[in-house]
Amino acid sequence: MFLRKKKEQQEETKSILTVTLNPAFDHILTLPELKLGTFNRSPETFRMPGGKGVNVASSLAIMGQEVVATGFLGAQGSRMFEEGLRKCGVTTAFVYVNQEIRTDFFVIEDDKNRQSLIVEKGVPIELRYLNNFKSNFERLLPSAELVEFGGSFPEGVSYSFLKELVASASKKNVKVVLNLKERTLLDTMEGVKPYLVTPDLRESKSMFGQDIYRDKDRHKIIEELHKRGAKIVLLKYGNLNYLVSNGVEKWEGEIELGESRIMIGIRDAVLAGFIHKCLETNNLGEALKYGLGAGRSTAKNKRNHPNSKQEIEEFLLMAKVRKLA
Amino acid sequence: MKKVREFMTRDLTSVTEDTALKDVAELLSMRALSGIPVVTMQNEVVGYISEKDIITSMFPEKVKIENPDIVGFTNLSHIVKKLSRVGDARVADYMDKNVTIIKEDTPTSDVAELMLHKDLKRVPVVRNRRLVGMVDRSSLSCILLEEGCLENVCL
Repeated sequence: MFLRKKKEQQEETKSILTVTLNPAFDHILTLPELKLGTFNRSPETFRMPGGKGVNVASSLAIMGQEVVATGFLGAQGSRMFEEGLRKCGVTTAFVYVNQEIRTDFFVIEDDKNRQSLIVEKGVPIELRYLNNFKSNFERLLPSAELVEFGGSFPEGVSYSFLKELVASASKKNVKVVLNLKERTLLDTMEGVKPYLVTPDLRESKSMFGQDIYRDKDRHKIIEELHKRGAKIVLLKYGNLNYLVSNGVEKWEGEIELGESRIMIGIRDAVLAGFIHKCLETNNLGEALKYGLGAGRSTAKNKRNHPNSKQEIEEFLLMAKVRKLA
Repeated sequence: MKKVREFMTRDLTSVTEDTALKDVAELLSMRALSGIPVVTMQNEVVGYISEKDIITSMFPEKVKIENPDIVGFTNLSHIVKKLSRVGDARVADYMDKNVTIIKEDTPTSDVAELMLHKDLKRVPVVRNRRLVGMVDRSSLSCILLEEGCLENVCL
């Protein structure tokens, strides 16, 4: 009896849990040029599950990692969304809300080499669904080794709700990864020591008043995030340029982006690759290299995740990674 | 022969014993499901609640389901009252506690036999009693047809 229990415990593989509070379909419309105020026909369109945590989940699944994706999902139209994720190998555990699933439209103009994004606002989340979500989240934690929080908030969901979830995971000794915008990230970090933070500075390009394009400033941002409790900081600047630090070691890495038409999910794939390898090897340099390989594979792919594990392993050989300290 | 982990639906939608029946009914309707596993806060499967269990909770006497005419108009107000009470009732009181579960490494033929024998529409898949997926009749029949075709090709 004792031996059986012990064997069962050994057999248990812990998974990674990703939380996307505001997921949406990514609907890609490509055309030579968008003509405003008139009829346009798109020769190529496709639709795929999207949202930061969702992209991280599908990328991790491609890498062979056991991963569960959760969040709020509009019940109407969600079947395709979940089936799309499961096809990649992701386990779904979404809380359904009685509304239509959101869609984000990406318009790719090939002749103009330009991309535009139209985001649907969505309907506010009712309080009863927040309570369902908390219960669902608590049930998923015992099987999780790490939980990643990423993306925006739907209406009706406050920062304090996210803070509660983060605190709960932290209390249960589940590693926390925060992939959030500056203000939300700093608020959420208070009182917890996240395993990894990766600030989303796509809009602001700066943090703590420091410019991410200046080398000296980047190091200041990293130091400040360590001071606030982050164990590892992964900072993106440029197309596929990254700086990573665990407070003892610092690594810098880059990879050429290549000819990419669709720039969706690249950053999330880098994060997924980094998490996957870091948990496996605890080696920052190896993890960064793998992340960059995953990002490059996603840039080549039309989808918002890498093409295959094999392709990641081919591309990571192109990554230039060096230790700074 | 394929194992359950190769074709199960990787979905963890579930409820707990203290979920209200009206919330279960809404969930089943939104997801177009016939039933759903009941789990603990550790995600361990402890029961199964189906649309049939919910309907039975409203009409507990079997005779009324088999002969709805007997209910009659005189009992209608009684039923309406009961319906309002049942909505707030908890899953624990109406779920099937003798839930059938299968492990990820169960072969297709064993699952098919079990589902036919027990007349099950959906079966929770567990690892150390923790829910990891579901097998339903439609995915099972697809796999059986696929395997049947492969065997024919081999012959």
